[in-house]
Amino acid sequence: MKKLLALGLVGAAAACGGDDSGRVTFSDPFCADVMPRVQDWVDQQREANPVPDDPRYGGTVVAGAIGEIADGLNAAVTSDYSSSQHQMFVGLMTLIEYDADIQAQPYLAESWEVSEDGTELTFRLRDDIYWHDGERTDAHDVAFTYRTVTNPETAFPNAAFWDYYVRGPEGVEVIDDFTVRIRLQPHSEFLNAWSTVAILPEHLLGDVPPAELRQHPYGSVCPVGNGPFVFVSHAAQDRWVFDANPAFPEGTGGRPFVDRYIYRVIPEPTTLLTELLTENIDVYFAPTPDQAPRIQEAEHLEFQTFTFRNYVMVVWNSRRPQLADARVRQALTMGTNRQEVVDAILRGYGAVAHTSVPPFHWAYDPEIESLPYDPEGAAALLEEAGWVDRDGDGVRENADGVPLSITVKYNQGNQIRQDIAEIMQAQLAGIGVEIEPLVVEWGTLLQQINTPELRDFDGVVMGWVTEFRLDDTDLFHSGRIDQPYAWSGTQNPELDRLLDRLAVTLDRDEAAPLWAEYQDALIEEQPYTFFYFIERLDGWNRRVENVVMDQRGEWVNIRDWYIDPASR
Amino acid sequence: MTRYVVRRLLGAVPLVLGIATIIFFVVNAAPGDPTLYMMAPGMSSEVVEQLRVNYGLDQPVHVRYVKWVGAMLTGDFGYSFSYNRPVLDVLMDFLPNTLVLSACALGLAFLVGIVLGTIQAVKQYSGLDSALSVVLLFFYSMPSFWLALMLILTFSLMARNVWDWPIYFPASGITSTGHDFMGPWEQVADRARHLVLPTLSLALVLAAGIARYMRGSMLEVIRQDFVRTARAKGLPERTVVFKHALRNALIPVITLVGLYIPVLFSGTVFVEYIFAWPGMGRAIVEAITRRDYPLVMAASFFFATMVVLANLLADVLYAVVDPRIRYE
Repeated sequence: MKKLLALGLVGAAAACGGDDSGRVTFSDPFCADVMPRVQDWVDQQREANPVPDDPRYGGTVVAGAIGEIADGLNAAVTSDYSSSQHQMFVGLMTLIEYDADIQAQPYLAESWEVSEDGTELTFRLRDDIYWHDGERTDAHDVAFTYRTVTNPETAFPNAAFWDYYVRGPEGVEVIDDFTVRIRLQPHSEFLNAWSTVAILPEHLLGDVPPAELRQHPYGSVCPVGNGPFVFVSHAAQDRWVFDANPAFPEGTGGRPFVDRYIYRVIPEPTTLLTELLTENIDVYFAPTPDQAPRIQEAEHLEFQTFTFRNYVMVVWNSRRPQLADARVRQALTMGTNRQEVVDAILRGYGAVAHTSVPPFHWAYDPEIESLPYDPEGAAALLEEAGWVDRDGDGVRENADGVPLSITVKYNQGNQIRQDIAEIMQAQLAGIGVEIEPLVVEWGTLLQQINTPELRDFDGVVMGWVTEFRLDDTDLFHSGRIDQPYAWSGTQNPELDRLLDRLAVTLDRDEAAPLWAEYQDALIEEQPYTFFYFIERLDGWNRRVENVVMDQRGEWVNIRDWYIDPASR
Repeated sequence: MTRYVVRRLLGAVPLVLGIATIIFFVVNAAPGDPTLYMMAPGMSSEVVEQLRVNYGLDQPVHVRYVKWVGAMLTGDFGYSFSYNRPVLDVLMDFLPNTLVLSACALGLAFLVGIVLGTIQAVKQYSGLDSALSVVLLFFYSMPSFWLALMLILTFSLMARNVWDWPIYFPASGITSTGHDFMGPWEQVADRARHLVLPTLSLALVLAAGIARYMRGSMLEVIRQDFVRTARAKGLPERTVVFKHALRNALIPVITLVGLYIPVLFSGTVFVEYIFAWPGMGRAIVEAITRRDYPLVMAASFFFATMVVLANLLADVLYAVVDPRIRYE
């Protein structure tokens, strides 16, 4: 038995690669070729750029979260939040960055200009950014990235980014090594894509067929970036290790303060909380609302929340006879106490939503006239729409005797969505509406609601994450009614008109009144009962200083975090 | 004996293939596919279609089955959809972690179970026997995941933050974050420290069961004539128990090895989640929810093979410890 244990330990120790110099070794041929160059380059740069004499430099910050960085640094295939964040702020660079007011600022691009007619966008790049294997980042990389993400074979998930761009090789032109021009049609917030889609290295990925990019080891085995942190190693479902890039230029923020940043995957929230409390991790991304008091109580921990771009709603299928009339949908919203839902199931960590426009966004209309919680008003609306309890069974019927009975589906294993369906059932029973909650497995549910020929639901509890460039065309425009996300089947000429105009209105001042109109029209139409925008919670050890987390994401200023020198 | 083993191994081939076939069709019959998990506004149906082509999901299921079997026979298990890497590479990352944990847990469980069971049998009806019975029943009826949380609470959180013990155990992971900068012995010690809590939470539950078996088996043997003869010829009680009785009492317990190996794989899922242990159990559960067909197939293929091999191993061990059993 002892032998067995010892054997196991030695085997386990040997399983993780490492040569005599302490470097991580890679077995994949692509990685075995490129990673030694990265390691050499980092060593050279460490010698050439000594750490500045400032006590804030040094130390390791360890963060933990429940999920993997699923797509790694492969910006061409990313659809998930933490991958995107690590591309934007950790390993790679975007052309522009948003400041706290969501205004574009230079990052990899030091400047940009738009032609008179708005059809040409020219970026001037910095000339002091290097890939971590020593190659310089230039306009060819930008052109390569653009061709790749707009190539249909790549299947870049957020295709809507390129709705008004000229896709493919015709859309991009390299003017000189550090100037690149991109063709587009004028549209609102056209820079948004460039704050999210990070630039990829052409010299490493240029030969990979686009359809095979997703499977390339570049993504999560050995990504080579150009950002403030250099990839060191990744053990699947365990941890990612990044080191400070010693050569990250002053002009883009300079070398990060911490020497090393480690991202750990710990799938069980209770364990994560324990590790935060016992100081084995410094940062816990997105704890659950019921863990908030424990973090707030602990003297050595900091706790913060911010409203996120993620909202939860109940979608009403207006193709159904019970739900065709906007007055019925308004009544369903007015008969539900949404503030109570936020307080009860999120412990208050959420903001009641009125429309799809997040409350922190510039397009949000603070004077918005939302539907109040008003059961009597809801009942009156239902009477007006012809729904009356004719047979005295407590459920309203229309003139044809069809009862106002609505099935609300939610996905299995999602307690919050189940709670929402059940709270609606209880509250709407009071105004003579019968709600039947129904649980469906996630994959099955998506198939039922996404398939245009099927749309097999009355109501469904769902959630969306919006971009900073708001665009609900896929959701509410009648022109997209046969597309997967036209769940509500909305056909409203007023909404169509506003969506069309908003998509191409460049100026925020000009767009603001249109957005106000849009929000009013959406409240009138009530394709969804909007419940709330979630708040993201975060907890971290006070020894990590200068942490900023806001709607741009948790990692937005990770290169400025530093460890209190006294606690190292 | 060799012929027997070869025959059993050959018999296992159609069995494992049959299991793989059933799993393939069941997994593919489940509604939804991997593209659904990337759903976001802005992801058009063209993108979804292209993804399905890139994944090879545009072909009918029987075509994919034939391709899968063909590739598998040449050792190619394809690419994992969720890890974007060759499936075998992914499994090779997780497998050693699971094997280390399972081997330690199984080893500890049998060691503790056999020792306690023997003590109980020898001291039958004593106060010690009853006390151990109560304790063992307590652990036996406790689910691993609950025990795991209690161990974390006690030996990690309370030990460090409240009671200030000189030693406490990490609640998650296989190594510390400073592992790369440690000396070789420090690294081994670090790994061992991380193994303690997950091993205990798996092993204690198993050990309790094994002790019950061991006690029963030992009691049966200890009453037999040859033991009485050994005592009668004046052998010390130690020799009687350890040399004559114990070896014979161990025979039925060996069957348990074959039975517990699969239990360990399924039991590790919870423990791997709670202790953030990057092992096979977690890999397969996540692969199923994300409809990562190639990974699900390869992992279940592996599990099936393990179960068949474990049973074979138990049968062979039988023959080794019990000269009365011969396979012809």
